[in-house]
Amino acid sequence: MTRHILRLLAFGLALVGLSALPAMAAFKLKGEPKIALVIFTQKNDGGWSQALDEARQRLEASMGVKIPVVENVPENATAIRPAVELLISRGFNIIIGSAFGYSDTFKELSEKYPDVAFLNPAGITNGPNLQSFYGRTYESQYLCGMAAGAASKSGKLGFVAANPFGLVNWTVNAYALGAQQVNPNATVTVIYTGAWNDPVKERAAAEALIEQGIDVIGQHVDTPATQIVAQEKGVYATGHHRDLREFAPKATQCSSVWVWDRFLEPEIKKIIAGDWTPPAYGAFLSIKEGGTDIACCGDAVPKDAADKITAEREAIVNGKQVYAGPLADRDGKERVPAGQVLSDADLWKMDWFVKGVISQK
Amino acid sequence: MAEPLAALDAAPPAPSRQSSRMTVEIRQTSPAGQRILIRGAGLLIGLAISVAILAWAGVGLGNLANEFIYAIFSDSRSVASVLVQMAPLLIAGLAACVAFRVRFWNIGIEGQMIFGSIAATLVAITDFGPPALRLVVMLMAAALGGMGWIFVPVALKLKLGISEVVSTLLLNYVALNFLLHLLYGSWQDPKSSFPHSEQYDAIERLSPIGWENVTLALPLALLLALILWWALNISRFGFFTRFVHANPKMAKAIGIPVLGVTCAAALLSGALAGVAGFAISAGIEYRMTQSFFFGYGFSGILIAFLARNNPIGVIVVAFFVAILFVAGQSLQVFYQIPGAIVQLIQAIVVISVAAAEFFIRHRLKWTK
Repeated sequence: MTRHILRLLAFGLALVGLSALPAMAAFKLKGEPKIALVIFTQKNDGGWSQALDEARQRLEASMGVKIPVVENVPENATAIRPAVELLISRGFNIIIGSAFGYSDTFKELSEKYPDVAFLNPAGITNGPNLQSFYGRTYESQYLCGMAAGAASKSGKLGFVAANPFGLVNWTVNAYALGAQQVNPNATVTVIYTGAWNDPVKERAAAEALIEQGIDVIGQHVDTPATQIVAQEKGVYATGHHRDLREFAPKATQCSSVWVWDRFLEPEIKKIIAGDWTPPAYGAFLSIKEGGTDIACCGDAVPKDAADKITAEREAIVNGKQVYAGPLADRDGKERVPAGQVLSDADLWKMDWFVKGVISQK
Repeated sequence: MAEPLAALDAAPPAPSRQSSRMTVEIRQTSPAGQRILIRGAGLLIGLAISVAILAWAGVGLGNLANEFIYAIFSDSRSVASVLVQMAPLLIAGLAACVAFRVRFWNIGIEGQMIFGSIAATLVAITDFGPPALRLVVMLMAAALGGMGWIFVPVALKLKLGISEVVSTLLLNYVALNFLLHLLYGSWQDPKSSFPHSEQYDAIERLSPIGWENVTLALPLALLLALILWWALNISRFGFFTRFVHANPKMAKAIGIPVLGVTCAAALLSGALAGVAGFAISAGIEYRMTQSFFFGYGFSGILIAFLARNNPIGVIVVAFFVAILFVAGQSLQVFYQIPGAIVQLIQAIVVISVAAAEFFIRHRLKWTK
């Protein structure tokens, strides 16, 4: 029965694909390419936005172009629209966004300006001239989880996370799965702060975790507060967004880092060359495709563990899946059958935790 | 030891008759023309300081007026952007204005906006009421939502004497966390499982008026300003608020229903803030997002302050603040001025205009 439904589904998808084909002509840029970046916070926020701005600087250097940046454009249509339209009126025709909250407005603008290419990290809307993209951060967080498992003496890891939904939950689970590669009994106690950028809450969460005897803390929030607390208290941590050794050189053992330029440079070259056809569901980048990667490892990770992490990274680049079956959640319910891989749709909806994850709920 | 004592006994030196000094005097009257002149001077001084900073940051003076004013008003898209931005600012300004008229310091406009939007979104996602009246029901729900959220600090103030400055401010955070609870929980978009509400249907959106992205939110805001102007400047209620504003004790002594007037104005303020949330969700974003309210609370307070709590003044000031927002972006886009300098300039312009108020009430005089 299931197979029957699947076949029907595949047939349906093929039909959709066929009917969509004629409309999917490659996007053609009009006029000289002019690239600009629009950032929703400050470009030097130490995390997400700064990673994007650093990618912009690397693109400027490698492509030999000037890419201006407009910062402090909050995730509201009233702010995004005029900023982007001002850029377009000045001849900019490749606009890079920076936020989930830009999704609707970028969609609307991409329809209004079909000759302008829109690229939006963390966005969820797509079109003939609009591409959202995000990284498979569970890959890099899995590797950092391995580093954390290796650095931990107690086997008790912590995790400071922003909000409980798919793209945060998958980093938490991957972190636990990675740690358990090194130490099968490792647990990950996760605290959700309910905010992306709240150093005060992040500090409180990190301190609470350390008081429970946790000796390595991972994170998926926007500030380096977790690393800084870990260093103050003499424990270890792993970072997100950027190499957080900048803020806590002793404590930071591994960081899941954005390498957007590895994805953006070939993408922008395709746009300029006129053979860019954005995929209907955006780009969801693995380490292989650029987007996410790791900066590893710190002194507390033994040499053999570090080698194992390097080998595992290689395996992932060569196609190893983090969320491969058989995989059950912490209540024993099967989530991925043997021989299968968790689908992207299920990743985005992930609301369950693997064994060893201890959460508030 | 003896010397200081002797010094104390000595008479203070007589002021020199020749020296002149500057004194501050309170103005007895301030004609309208003079007030406009003083505020204009404040604006000019603020702009002059801003120009100096921009020149220092590397913007050519010759281009500045051209880019700053001509670029905005010659481009219909930019004018539309200003007007789109102006609508919610105007309503938030009105919300602050009516509360300040009775000295109820409502710092919780953002929290009330959140509850206004939550109430409107509840109507939208449950498809409550007949489709033809959906928007009206959403508008009423938003007003009630905002009113309900301000009712708590109003009650706390009247029953327990708790300062509304503290309670309205802190309730903003409660409202924000409730919003996030909904958006990360049961109200997340069922289409994408992402943390914003589902999109409003076409009938649940304030329709465009046919020019760029300007929607009915703008006429709604202007209409509310006119109604509030009538309520505060013509009606008996407005007459009462002037007494309450001037001196609540005296107002009570001469038989003004101080309690009723204060409550009504505060609840009206919450209702207007709720409508501001509705204007953004139904007129701009077409769904409830996580940060739609951000910054409107303090902008609203600022606008009401600069407009001297006059609804017609609020229209003018909201327009200028919207220009300041859009112009600030154009500075970043065209000159790569860092965002922080743009915020600095916006603050300088606002402070200069606000400081000019001092010279409306006072004058400096050289005395000889």
